[in-house]
Amino acid sequence: MLRLGRHAFGDDDALMMAIVNRTPDSFFDKGATWAEDAAFERVRLVASQGAEIVDIGGIKAAPGAEIGASEEKARVVDFVARVREEFPALVISVDTWRAEVGDAACAAGADLLNDAWGGADPELVDVAAAHGAAIVCTHTGGVTPRTRPYRIEYDDVVRAAIDDTLGYAQRALDAGVAKESIVIDPAHDFGKNTFHSLEITRRLGEMVATGWPVLVSLSNKDFVGETLDLPVGERLLGTLAATTVCAMAGARIYRVHQVPETRQTVDMAWTIAGRRRPKRAIRGLQ
Amino acid sequence: MTRVALVPGCLALLPEHASLDDPVDELRSACLAAVAWLGEDVRVIAGAQGARVAASLLAEVGTAPVTSGEAAYLIVGNGSARRTEKAPGHLDPRAAEFDEALGRSLEKPDPDALRALDLGLAGELWADVGPIVEAADLLSRVATVAVDYDDDPYGVRYWVARWE
Repeated sequence: MLRLGRHAFGDDDALMMAIVNRTPDSFFDKGATWAEDAAFERVRLVASQGAEIVDIGGIKAAPGAEIGASEEKARVVDFVARVREEFPALVISVDTWRAEVGDAACAAGADLLNDAWGGADPELVDVAAAHGAAIVCTHTGGVTPRTRPYRIEYDDVVRAAIDDTLGYAQRALDAGVAKESIVIDPAHDFGKNTFHSLEITRRLGEMVATGWPVLVSLSNKDFVGETLDLPVGERLLGTLAATTVCAMAGARIYRVHQVPETRQTVDMAWTIAGRRRPKRAIRGLQ
Repeated sequence: MTRVALVPGCLALLPEHASLDDPVDELRSACLAAVAWLGEDVRVIAGAQGARVAASLLAEVGTAPVTSGEAAYLIVGNGSARRTEKAPGHLDPRAAEFDEALGRSLEKPDPDALRALDLGLAGELWADVGPIVEAADLLSRVATVAVDYDDDPYGVRYWVARWE
């Protein structure tokens, strides 16, 4: 069983985590949901598209203007409360590395802390434990939040990702986070060049084999863009191809911009892999 | 009194072919109710595929086929699979008349008519009637309880019927 705050899921469920940016400058939507009402419309849309999780973020991942904890909270916390009120069935994730922000977000109703920066703030696990929230343990190779990878090398990037995320998971366990509320994420492109992200994708099954539920965040990222030499707006097909590979390997949560397209892709791969029945098969069986 | 039931050899009834949305939910319900009605000791009259369907239905109601002793009978057979242009065997205009006559013979039941079925035509129409003909003698000793299902949702004519 996978428990994300107030919500529980079976071991064969593949979940869509829809990205909701409360930022003026994120790479894909470029501020399209910066205004609170626009962000709320985005939540409404992805909920109607069947996303189980919304991942609300107040700071873009790439370097940029410094956003302090109070500004991050102003962008995220009341919004979490509003989403909790109107969409009680949605899992609310907050994309933050700061314990202070995570604490306020959980108090407002967040179920899951998506720490994209690999435990940069050691107290985040305590916050998750205190609120009974789930946590995503990512691998970043130890980089500082909001920095780009520069000449990072690994003896074995998959081994590093497994060792670091499992180490982080152990810290979460030690802090009191429930075992069924811990998710690991190799974090494509975080502390990784394109070759690293491709290898992580190709060998994702090794992460799945650890037994921890694996989240993948592939959506429109640079490793897709560099692989196909395509700009941000033209990476959907490449994203879905990578999604298929991760789904075949057994990734459980997909952090995405495009929910219906990813859902179809994952459902197809999940069914090929034998983890899901066809929706309705009768041809040749009458 | 001997109980006898007929179900179609529809492979979508097998658990390995289950979908998220059951395309044969009404048929399945009727089949399971009829099989449950037969009781615990059931002999199967079916071809190889039909025997698998029968065993699966019996398993779902918690029993298994027997081969000797006092028993009820489960016949697995169906009408033409060439009833429409989208049917597995495409449209054969003779299918409708064939199935109507077969349906009437089952509903009465009329063992003589069942014995006299044209097996050559049945083969051309992709109708699985061999087990029905084989069971004709049984049907001379029983009366119809109900025809629980009579439809062709996917171009194949199915009946679920019970006699006693």
